[in-house]
Amino acid sequence: MKVSQTFQEPIDTSAEVETPEHVRFHHHLAGPARRALAYLIDLFVRLLIVLVLAIVANIAGVAAGTELTGLSNGILAVVFFGLEWGYYVVCETLWSGRSPGKRVLHLRVITDTGRPLHYLDSILRNLLRAADLLPNAYALGLLVMGRDRRFRRLGDMVAGTMVVVEDRQYFGEALRIHPAPTPRELSSLPQRIPLSGDELDALELYLRRVPTLHPARAEELAEIVAPVFARRLGVRFRGDARRFLEVLFFRARERTAG
Amino acid sequence: MIPQDVFVAQREPEWRELDLLLGQDKELYSHDGATISRIATLYRALCGDLVRVQSARYSPDLAGYLNGIAGRTHSALYGARPIRAFGFTGLVLREFPAALRKNWRFFLLATLLFVVPWIIGQAGTMASPSFAKHVLPASQLEGMAQAYSKGFDEGRMSGVDASMAGFYVYNNVGIAFRCFATGILFGLGSVFFLIYNGLTIGTVTGWVWNAGHGGNILTFMCGHAPFELTAILISGAAGLRMGYALVATEGRTRIGSLRASAREIGAMIVGAALMLIIAAGIEGFWSPSSLPPQVKWGASVVFTLGVSGFLLFAGRSRKLA
Repeated sequence: MKVSQTFQEPIDTSAEVETPEHVRFHHHLAGPARRALAYLIDLFVRLLIVLVLAIVANIAGVAAGTELTGLSNGILAVVFFGLEWGYYVVCETLWSGRSPGKRVLHLRVITDTGRPLHYLDSILRNLLRAADLLPNAYALGLLVMGRDRRFRRLGDMVAGTMVVVEDRQYFGEALRIHPAPTPRELSSLPQRIPLSGDELDALELYLRRVPTLHPARAEELAEIVAPVFARRLGVRFRGDARRFLEVLFFRARERTAG
Repeated sequence: MIPQDVFVAQREPEWRELDLLLGQDKELYSHDGATISRIATLYRALCGDLVRVQSARYSPDLAGYLNGIAGRTHSALYGARPIRAFGFTGLVLREFPAALRKNWRFFLLATLLFVVPWIIGQAGTMASPSFAKHVLPASQLEGMAQAYSKGFDEGRMSGVDASMAGFYVYNNVGIAFRCFATGILFGLGSVFFLIYNGLTIGTVTGWVWNAGHGGNILTFMCGHAPFELTAILISGAAGLRMGYALVATEGRTRIGSLRASAREIGAMIVGAALMLIIAAGIEGFWSPSSLPPQVKWGASVVFTLGVSGFLLFAGRSRKLA
């Protein structure tokens, strides 16, 4: 597994991973805003834990006197320590790279090479928070993230990790030309459509995008392309440019699909 | 080439099945065996589909959809790595001392950066009390002198011990961690924290000494110092090592150089953290106890020998020994 870092890689917020199956796929990298939000959620969770424990300790202290107050203060201090330095390490190790905040926002910490996080990686990246949060409110970390093409803060760089988004994505419906082209529409086109593979791909992409476009915008785009294709085919089209492209595509596919 | 929609119609049920299995957001090991192997099968088929979609230039949203599922499955399948206690003890008992010996120069440098300001602080304060007031506020110094004036012949209430032990964990381990982490700023943060802490402790010791309680404070420190001071020096050394990796890259990129040294840096800081937790226990319960100074100093000798013996000899290759 390796991540190619050549200059051919497109400038995008993604990181390529090659799996043991020799398949390459792209992880979507998490930007500062999403990570800050996850941080706030985790902060809230930690504050809640402290609050609950402090209330319990207080009640116990009132009930049992000074001896127990000392002990519970000691325990509270250890809990503070654990929440400040250990919270992320424990969560990320147990949930392979996710803390509660990251879970909510579908984030995950993985290594540069796309492998799961090792506990030592997690310790390093989270200890380095002490440097990232300097001088205040993670300013240094944000600055470093902004300069890095993988949005890594200092801790990520030392530990060799990155944070990725595992959002669920959707794809469009099957392409349907509705209503089906009439024989009359088809007869107006030549049997063989002189369009290159790239042009047909672009046409298909456009038609698949139509349901997500505003009708006026879809029409506008079609009106740019339709006259160009019509001139190439030596036909004249009247009226609906989008309809013309649909029928054109139907005829082209009709032949290739056989 | 199959048209996209025919391909999708054929393959979509399996994608949906995989998506559904992952959607439960459970860790992989909490599924039963049959489900896990089903996920693996579906994942391999999906990887094939992804390659196909990419080469056939189907629409980007389809590629994105498959890409997303592939990423999530990859994380789930290859994410199930249990923590092995054996790996951790190996890290602490063998790798940690070995990494420290390998980086002895940084440990030496950290020691100098800590001890020299200590001596300056203590000597300066003993020579002229006004020196101390430039380092720390007078009220804090008075508080320290007050705290050590009585000695520990009567011990403390055990509740106070527990509370102080907790405070030491929070405060001292935090100091050591910050001393380490800020080493990423080309070592400067570690340098600052080492000098600052050395100077502060030296000044306090000098002040308490002037007040006539020097024996008390040293007897208090002698128990946990072998763990605590050594661990702070190790944290500082790990921070300096990190800063050095950024400067002396030996032909690598800065990040590459950092990564190459990350394992030993990690081993050092984990070891230091454990030593600090041991130190906090001693500092909270043993050091302020009412045991006679002879016992405390005897224990200090034993601790010192133990710590140095461990750091010098543990984790050496058996062949060389």
